[in-house]
Amino acid sequence: MFFHIVLERNMQLHPRFFGRNLRENLVSKLMKDVEGTCSGRHGFVVAITGIESVGKGLIRDGTGFVTFPVKYQCVVFRPFKGEILEAVVTLVNKMGFFAEAGPVQIFVSKHLIPDDMEFQAGDMPHYTTSDGSVKIQKECEVRLKIIGTRVDATEIFCVGTIKDDFLGVINDPASTA
Amino acid sequence: MSVASDSPVHSSSSDDLAAFLETELESDSDSSSESFPSEEAEDDTEVANHRLKKRKLEHLETVEEEGVENVASVTFSEEISEASSSKRPCDHPGSIKQICILCGEPVEQTGVPLRYMHQDMWIHQEEISRIRDSDIKFLQRQRKLCLVLDLDHTLLNTTVLRDLKPEEDYLKSHTHSLQDVSGGDLFMLDFMNMMTKLRPFVRSFLKEASEMFVMYIYTMGDRDYARKMAELLDPKGEYFSGRIISRDDGTVKHQKSLDVVLGQESSVLILDDTENAWPSHKDNLIVIERYHFFASSCRQFEHKYQSLSQLKSDESEPDGVLATVLKVLKQTHSLFFEDGGGYTSGRDVRTLLKQVRKQVLEGCKVVFSRVFPTKSEPKDHPLWRIAEGLGATCATEVDASVTHVVAMDVGTEKVRWAIREKKFVVNRGWIDAAHYLWKKQPEENFGLEQLKKTETEVKNDDVTLEN
Repeated sequence: MFFHIVLERNMQLHPRFFGRNLRENLVSKLMKDVEGTCSGRHGFVVAITGIESVGKGLIRDGTGFVTFPVKYQCVVFRPFKGEILEAVVTLVNKMGFFAEAGPVQIFVSKHLIPDDMEFQAGDMPHYTTSDGSVKIQKECEVRLKIIGTRVDATEIFCVGTIKDDFLGVINDPASTA
Repeated sequence: MSVASDSPVHSSSSDDLAAFLETELESDSDSSSESFPSEEAEDDTEVANHRLKKRKLEHLETVEEEGVENVASVTFSEEISEASSSKRPCDHPGSIKQICILCGEPVEQTGVPLRYMHQDMWIHQEEISRIRDSDIKFLQRQRKLCLVLDLDHTLLNTTVLRDLKPEEDYLKSHTHSLQDVSGGDLFMLDFMNMMTKLRPFVRSFLKEASEMFVMYIYTMGDRDYARKMAELLDPKGEYFSGRIISRDDGTVKHQKSLDVVLGQESSVLILDDTENAWPSHKDNLIVIERYHFFASSCRQFEHKYQSLSQLKSDESEPDGVLATVLKVLKQTHSLFFEDGGGYTSGRDVRTLLKQVRKQVLEGCKVVFSRVFPTKSEPKDHPLWRIAEGLGATCATEVDASVTHVVAMDVGTEKVRWAIREKKFVVNRGWIDAAHYLWKKQPEENFGLEQLKKTETEVKNDDVTLEN
């Protein structure tokens, strides 16, 4: 799920950036530092959308660096248990398959793939129904439901299921190509 | 500076919302998904059934209460039993990143680590055997067995660049581009400071073997190395696709084991140059002669020959070691599936492999002379066991039925007897060669005269087989 929230961060800036472009430098450094990272609490920071305020800088003794408290608005992505996500399959094996929804990795166990789908090994391993109408393989898009999340400091990992109504393959580039 | 280390400010709005959603979504998912209720474990089935019936009734939108209760219990008895069976608490067949792969609850890491699939994937033993069993149908249809392949000295030979001898410098100008690896067999991996030579015939070997086997790589190298080598051997990813097991993925240090391989032990063949790496699966193992292309590799195993690179030669492509092994694999495979047999017939590759091996020296009766130390029991000596494994009969004393005398020295009584009786006198290399080449070797190539000429070579346990 995406959220638009306000976060704060203390930015340390080298004295060489002081001057007319101080604010621009601060913002571009903030974007470089924050975008694409993940915190367990808020999820992945997708993009910074605006700066709320830049507080008073504090000069550090001895180094000349200045610390600015910056409040910024950003879009974050945080998966939740029970949420439905669309993801791209990255790896298929006997145990199930792995998929990615942006920065989040999701594993769907064989147990949570509908029973009528069977694993087929070979150079392109996939799960398929007996009539071959539905095929889960690398690169195809699936809609899945998250049943468990594990949140680390820098990573969020999920376990999902497609054994429910309206879940499963939504687009298979290999078959349409 | 990382984001994780700094403390996010307590902007109340976002925190509250996140917490609210978390609880809301979790409670929502608990009530809506019947499959994994954790709090209902203590509920008896009757309550569960009742609840389910209720739900079904709502679906039917029926009006009459009493009659429907009965009808429903009949009509949906199947679903009810199914549903109630899924009502029991999850038995956590495995976990990934410490969450159960089935119910998503946090669990302990137990079972067997399948790190080659995912760094933090652990699967229970029962689940693994279940997967192995369920795989049989598929493999039977495909007529495939499993094959576990070692990398170093089996399929290829790698050296660290700084160990290259001056006379090997010419190799640097013969390397192939890493852009398109499918045609070449000698690669310079600058970023790893390594040079790798693929064994002759390896590409045809993999191609043909992939039709009979589901193949794994299992190496004592680290993961990055294993992946890189797999790329060289299998640029399209069609042979191994994710079945690459490295030192980091094993369960026991300095040993290899089939416990992480998802195949029935009775259907897995192993190809490795080191017998000791597989202490508990020797019967599945085909020991292959080591491929020493680089001088550093010869040094490592205290070989005193010049390496193939120094001699500017290589193993022969059409009848080298890999081609020989491929024949053995083919033979074992066809024995397994012969007469419509296969997994269902209870056949075991281990016995079949023994059977194939036994044909090599069939009909030979071998007597050893001054090969074993006097104080040890001859039956315990590896050479004795190898000879028996190859189908030869071993004896300690000579008699008329003896066909070969294996000796290290011309002067012994048994050798004199053999010459008198016109029996074959061979050195131990004859047995070693048969062991590696899966074929009885011409005795005249292994006479004691050859032994004298190449005195130094005998000190090494191996025989030169390179052409």
